[in-house]
Amino acid sequence: MMAEDIQAKLKNYKTAPFDARFPNQNQTRNCFQNYLGMNIMWLLPVSTSWQRSPDYSKPDFHRCTKVLTAKGADTTPCEWFRRVYKSLCPISWINKWNDQLEEGTFPGKI
Amino acid sequence: MAHQAHAYHMVDPSPWPLTGATAALLMTSGLAIWFHFHSLSLLYLGLTLLLLTMIQWWRDIIREGTFQGHHTPPVQKGLRYGMILFITSEVFFFLGFFWAFYHSSLAPTPELGGCWPPTGINPLDPFEVPLLNTAVLLASGVTVTWAHHSLMEGNRKEAIQALTLTIILGFYFTALQAMEYYEAPFTIADGVYGTTFFVATGFHGLHVIIGSTFLTICLLRQIQYHFTSEHHFGFEAAAWYWHFVDVVWLFLYVSIYWWGS
Repeated sequence: MMAEDIQAKLKNYKTAPFDARFPNQNQTRNCFQNYLGMNIMWLLPVSTSWQRSPDYSKPDFHRCTKVLTAKGADTTPCEWFRRVYKSLCPISWINKWNDQLEEGTFPGKI
Repeated sequence: MAHQAHAYHMVDPSPWPLTGATAALLMTSGLAIWFHFHSLSLLYLGLTLLLLTMIQWWRDIIREGTFQGHHTPPVQKGLRYGMILFITSEVFFFLGFFWAFYHSSLAPTPELGGCWPPTGINPLDPFEVPLLNTAVLLASGVTVTWAHHSLMEGNRKEAIQALTLTIILGFYFTALQAMEYYEAPFTIADGVYGTTFFVATGFHGLHVIIGSTFLTICLLRQIQYHFTSEHHFGFEAAAWYWHFVDVVWLFLYVSIYWWGS
């Protein structure tokens, strides 16, 4: 995927598009997978100063961007994941998982 | 002297169905009383009555069949149907627990970490004691078949030996499983993994104990010359039940122990 395509997609983003990996009514996995994708992205092997970030939801994107830029990689996957899970997931779930990440009790494999 | 003009068994009036039903009532209400008021008395009373009912009812069946000759071929056929239907109902019983296991493990929720085994669970190594248990039960299936053939051939000594060996293997399984339960790093309270594991394997273990008991009764009866080479349905029923227990274990092993790890 070209970076320009992704930028265009992000610019025109209205809501999470159909993902054939999750065709059924229950979209829990879709939400969870994108949340994981977002958080896996910024847990690439670097120093973990992100843990000291005050606002837990915001710096993901920034750290993810920074990390991927440092590696010379395309940074738009981070933003894509973030948009998708923000569209799909109940806010209470996101808050709960962010709290768990802070406490170190998040059960997902990051 | 009055004779019946048919080969069926019109059973004499018996109190055991009533005592059995009473036991069921006492056990269910006893369970509720235990949950809410911490008293085990009613439950114990129910269990005692159940035990006495089973002993006396089955003792009476042995008297009617072996000593009084009421178990003609048609009667035996009915008993066969009965045992088959009972085992079928038990199959459905276990099917429910397998359903529960697959429901939870095929689509693990985010609370579990979206994976199976769930985050934090260290499952038992399927190639250690569980594999030994599989071998033990499979071997016991062989020995019980050996016992059956010995019985049919009129070989009293070997029938007793094979049946004894089957029972020993059954006890060995139970002992190994008890040790596994004691040593397991997870408990029944450890999320849906613990629940599905211990409920499914626990009920299986209970059935192993029931089966072993049934086989032991058969051994005692064989020693006391109850069985003939042509007529030994009690033994056949026990053997069917034992094979059923073995098959359930195989499904448990493949699903929960092996795939589920």
